[in-house]
Amino acid sequence: MKRDWGAREDVALEAVAAKEELAVTEAPSARDLTPAQWVKENLFSTPFNSVLSVVAGLLAGWLLYAVLRWAFGTADWTVVKTNFRLYMIGRFPIEEAWRIWMGLYYVVLLVGLTWGQAGRRLTWDAMHIVRRSVLAILGVLLLLYLVDSPLVWSLMGGLVAAYLAGVGVGRIGRGRTMRRIVWAGWLLAFPFVIVVLQIADGVGPLRWNGFLLNVLAGVVGIVLSFPIGIVLALGRRSSLPAVRTVCVALIEVVRGAPLFAWLLFGVFLLPFLLPPGVQLPQIIRVMIMFTVFSSAYVAEIVRGGLQGVHFGQYEAARAVGLSTTRMMALVILPQALRNTIPAMISHFISLFKDTSLLAVIGFIDMLRAARIASASVKFIGSSRQTLLFAALIFWIVAFSMSRWSQRLERRLGVGER
Amino acid sequence: MATEPIEQSTTATDEMIVAEGVKKWFGSFKALDGITTTIKRGEVVVVLGPSGSGKSTFIRCINRLERHDEGRIVVDGIEMTDDLRNIERIRSEIGMVFQSFNLFPHLRVIDNVTLAPRNVRRWPKAKSEEKAVQLLERVGIPEQAEKYPAQLSGGQQQRVAIARALAMEPDIMLFDEPTSALDPEMIKEVLDAMKELARSGMTMIVITHEIGFAKEVADRVLFFDSGLLVEENTPDAFFSDPQHDRTKLFLSQILA
Repeated sequence: MKRDWGAREDVALEAVAAKEELAVTEAPSARDLTPAQWVKENLFSTPFNSVLSVVAGLLAGWLLYAVLRWAFGTADWTVVKTNFRLYMIGRFPIEEAWRIWMGLYYVVLLVGLTWGQAGRRLTWDAMHIVRRSVLAILGVLLLLYLVDSPLVWSLMGGLVAAYLAGVGVGRIGRGRTMRRIVWAGWLLAFPFVIVVLQIADGVGPLRWNGFLLNVLAGVVGIVLSFPIGIVLALGRRSSLPAVRTVCVALIEVVRGAPLFAWLLFGVFLLPFLLPPGVQLPQIIRVMIMFTVFSSAYVAEIVRGGLQGVHFGQYEAARAVGLSTTRMMALVILPQALRNTIPAMISHFISLFKDTSLLAVIGFIDMLRAARIASASVKFIGSSRQTLLFAALIFWIVAFSMSRWSQRLERRLGVGER
Repeated sequence: MATEPIEQSTTATDEMIVAEGVKKWFGSFKALDGITTTIKRGEVVVVLGPSGSGKSTFIRCINRLERHDEGRIVVDGIEMTDDLRNIERIRSEIGMVFQSFNLFPHLRVIDNVTLAPRNVRRWPKAKSEEKAVQLLERVGIPEQAEKYPAQLSGGQQQRVAIARALAMEPDIMLFDEPTSALDPEMIKEVLDAMKELARSGMTMIVITHEIGFAKEVADRVLFFDSGLLVEENTPDAFFSDPQHDRTKLFLSQILA
């Protein structure tokens, strides 16, 4: 089915172009220029511009040269290679690593199923394919350097196969049942991972380390704070004074102190506030604090989104007979949440990076793993490499989330003004 | 629902909307100062009046977008109270079309139309879509079903809004200045859809400044000023022989 998205905008643009024909003909579009012309027009249009271009170019070139020379010449990355497992899972016992792989396979299969049953065709142009390929090759090269074990390689190959199998199955079994399976799969994903990690003499929370810990804490914070934040935002707009007061108080108190303080609260004070007899592992208490902290911010982001929804939408929804719950779920929230995507993803990226605070309160997260790696006598003086590598992984995750948010925006922005 | 007393609906068959001494304040501003009128089944009523006269507030009280402070409103035998179930029942019998369309921008045209039948009436998808396509044909835009509201012209959007309101199979349709936000060349297509609806026997209350529409299809014209129902009459009598000074002044201004 062909849908001509945004057809009207094209018409409008043409109309504008027609009115301003003079201006348009005087400014040729960038596509008509040869590279040489482009360089001349954009970099050397005036003497001052030329000087700026040359200086900036030299500076950028020198910086790039220095960084590359250091990264590929001077720096010895053996410390990262040796400690790659420490980065990823810290002191998680190696003989129990199959538990993590199982969780990974579960998630990857589910991602495949989700993508397959959505049934979207890839519409990549040449540029897109080139960019993807470059990224993929860089990733594989990095892994080639970092991972020697044939077992790990075959397991990673298995992941790719599981993903493809998921896509295939999802595509073949498209329909309502498949959609339900995928939904149930995602709902069960987190409990599944936690159970698999611990079941049958498994690994306790104390040894969930490294990148695994950042991911677990980040995912818990993001996934739980999203619905809680929405509820808080709705509560803040409630017509019941008691509900409103509680929500406002919670949001303002939580936002009033830094995340680090809340984490310390979770570690040192929360145990005394729990009902007697209830004991939560430290990491769970910290995850609760991440969730609470994030919820307050999500609530304010959602409130902003709700304010952007025109009151006419409420009236129209009521006029067709929708109850308040359905009105919010079907009409108001979908619009409000769409408007919040940039702010929301930005907050989640920030929350994910903030899981590195775990390093300061005694957990072995990825950042702490980096410090441990460079602390050994063998690799003394290598903390530049170890920290940069941790930064690289954080960057990869944050950047992926940001790209994903842009795609989501484009997809949901369809047909909307 | 099945236990609903039958006599209630038989006595109410002719009187779709009964308003008795309806009053409404916005703070200290008196928007409605005791409106009493009865609208019969199948009647098409056009409401005229200067802005701020309370005409819009009045029809918004009929489906409880505004809560009236005093007086009684009875819709098809159901009295409007604070009871949510009552309100929802009345709302599902009344369709409303707004000046600014208020389509749901995140849904395709077809989903705009099927949203309420599927979620309030609990119709299956196939049935509600079939009905939606019929309605879009009725208002003359079946080919736009897959588009999003922002991709349509104002006139098309307003016709979708009419189809959306009709999808709940209402007994009454309220129009709150349905053509005031439209470019002149699009007004006719919306008025045509409304005329067709009027001829089909729908009970309609229409706030509009389109005198031609009032003369052609209205059974009665109500004139509001300062929260009062100043004058009501058949269109012929209303436009040719207005009784009150305020009516005369208003007509001289809009007909000039």
